[in-house]
Amino acid sequence: MRTLVEIALRNLLAARRRSALLGTAIALVTLMLVLLLGLSKGIEDNMVEAATTVSAGHVNVAGFFKSTSTSAAAPIVTQKAPVRAIVEENVDGIEYIVERDRGWGKIISDTGTVNVGLNGLIAADEARFFAELEMALESEYAEDGRDEAIGDPRRLAEHDTILLFASHAKQLRVRVGDELTIKTETNAGVTNTVDVEVVAVARDMGFMTSFTAFLPRSTVLELYQLNEMNTGALWIYLDDIDRSAAVMNDLRGHLADAGYVVMDHDPNPFFFKFERVQGEDWSGQQLDLTMWKDEVSYVAWILAAFDSLSVFLTLILVAIIAVGIMNAMWTAVRERTAEIGTMRAIGMQRGHVLLLFLIEAVLLGLLATGVGAGIGALLAVLVNASAIDVGVEAVQAILLSNTLSLSVTPQALVGAMLFITFFTALAAVWPSLRAAALRPVDALRHTE
Amino acid sequence: MFRSLLLLATLLGAPAIAAPDGAAMTQMLETIDDRQRNGGDYKSTVFIETKQRGKADLVYQAEVLRRDASDSLVILFTKPQSEAGKGYLRIDKNLFIYDPTVGKWERRTERERIGGTDSQRSDFDESRLALEYTPTYVGEETLGRYTVHHLKLAVRDGVDVAYPALELWVDTESTNILKRQDFALSGRLMRTTYYPEWMKKFSPSKGEEIYFPREIRIFDEIEKGNATTVVIQEVDLNSLPDSIFTKAWLEAKSR
Repeated sequence: MRTLVEIALRNLLAARRRSALLGTAIALVTLMLVLLLGLSKGIEDNMVEAATTVSAGHVNVAGFFKSTSTSAAAPIVTQKAPVRAIVEENVDGIEYIVERDRGWGKIISDTGTVNVGLNGLIAADEARFFAELEMALESEYAEDGRDEAIGDPRRLAEHDTILLFASHAKQLRVRVGDELTIKTETNAGVTNTVDVEVVAVARDMGFMTSFTAFLPRSTVLELYQLNEMNTGALWIYLDDIDRSAAVMNDLRGHLADAGYVVMDHDPNPFFFKFERVQGEDWSGQQLDLTMWKDEVSYVAWILAAFDSLSVFLTLILVAIIAVGIMNAMWTAVRERTAEIGTMRAIGMQRGHVLLLFLIEAVLLGLLATGVGAGIGALLAVLVNASAIDVGVEAVQAILLSNTLSLSVTPQALVGAMLFITFFTALAAVWPSLRAAALRPVDALRHTE
Repeated sequence: MFRSLLLLATLLGAPAIAAPDGAAMTQMLETIDDRQRNGGDYKSTVFIETKQRGKADLVYQAEVLRRDASDSLVILFTKPQSEAGKGYLRIDKNLFIYDPTVGKWERRTERERIGGTDSQRSDFDESRLALEYTPTYVGEETLGRYTVHHLKLAVRDGVDVAYPALELWVDTESTNILKRQDFALSGRLMRTTYYPEWMKKFSPSKGEEIYFPREIRIFDEIEKGNATTVVIQEVDLNSLPDSIFTKAWLEAKSR
């Protein structure tokens, strides 16, 4: 075998120009695959980060309350304490739990209006939230703004304050310290307002923050005329996000056993469910358990569409490479027919001839994909270090981030190398079989 | 000095003396409601002009059809072309909206802003002030060239309204509302409405004349610059077919 590898290596070196051209093409395809995989993983990472920062915990215990079967469904858990006790008692590996109140309202400034989801939080419990949020420079949302982040999100501990995202601050033409009015309807349908002070402006996190603002829980409760016993949802953060599904299913059983009416699992965000719930013939409290993925299912299409596009592009390029490999191997077989005849004449088996050509293709594949993957990994590091700002809002929405981020893992690198090498070897099978099928006599006659 | 104090006391005391008591104010609201209540069917063509800051002005035309006996209401948009066929239907205290572009009905709250304007379902519906609010008297005032009763109204317990507090300026002579202000739960003034002109028409079902505003001007007090004007024309108080107040009728008209 070692001899075969040596011969294959020498053959590659002997046909230096052809090997270099083909190797470069393979390396480029590998590079592109690595970057596409890195971008896809980057979007996925952004999605997880944004989702579990602004939209959901790993597992969420929320629900709807209807005073009568025909009344509007309020997105609240009316008696949160016993529900939370069941969660704490039955779920292992909880890192922490936060409470979020949910609403929808109109934020009004002197010059603009935006409709957003109003998220009430308890600032003291939100260390991770504050750590994950990145404050926007004032110049990013105000025309004559300074190039520094103004404000302090921790001031959300104060009553009647608000944290906006940069796109909303820009739309409303406000900056930190300005007053805004929030208008909404209580769950009983009565119009209510509150005046709030902008205490911080955070950078957008793509699609998910395009309709989100954060307020202190106390302000949301006042706005909706709710008491302290209510909450919008309990967000449970686990030590391992991959346990979300198991924990959710387990918890459904425990809550049902405790006498709660638990809605069938609907893998959609809570705001998709209002109409259905309102149309259902029941009153009182029903609990709705979801995972983080469910609450952001409306952006999952981005990842699916991007992955489909990546697969499509990669397959086209792999097909082109395969044609190149086959062509190169055919040329090699034709050029080396006499050599094959000699080797066969001195006793080399057909299988070894086949193996020799396949090893050549695999060696070329491994070397070229190694170079491509290496350059890809290096480029990803450079791109991430540069924090390239994506100026176009539509692209930001797709990337779920303001900056281009590539997440290249060792598994992805090895996977890309093996994938391309496999197809390189596959493309070489037919020419190799033809080489192995040559009869020594015919091959030797070729030299005459 | 004594004469000044006496004059001041007289001035301060005067409204109290003139102020109608609770029963009289409720009677005033009942009169306002009753003068507008037809009891039978109602049909009119309304033009809704809306101005919203940063947006182009829009004018909608709609047919309003009402059957007060069963609290049924239909608002069918006829113009512009993009809105034609959209409609609201209120039956059994449920308000639905129909969008012909998707062929789908959606339930809405009683406080729905009609067509996204500052007008609400209640602006087109039967007046129910006496049933929904408890009045208190502020005083007799002058509004332009009119002498008016200024009332404050607070919502009655368990009643479903968009604004829990109102202020009304009622013409002392005609008992027509000339101005109305709606307040949020927080006490914030949300909108001011003017009724510059009232019309009356003989109602065959009631056997007497009923009043209706010919024009309603609504000013958004939060989003300054937003305003809606509703012009009511072609009021017809004759009986309407029963089939009108059904989803099928609205769907058929939307085709």
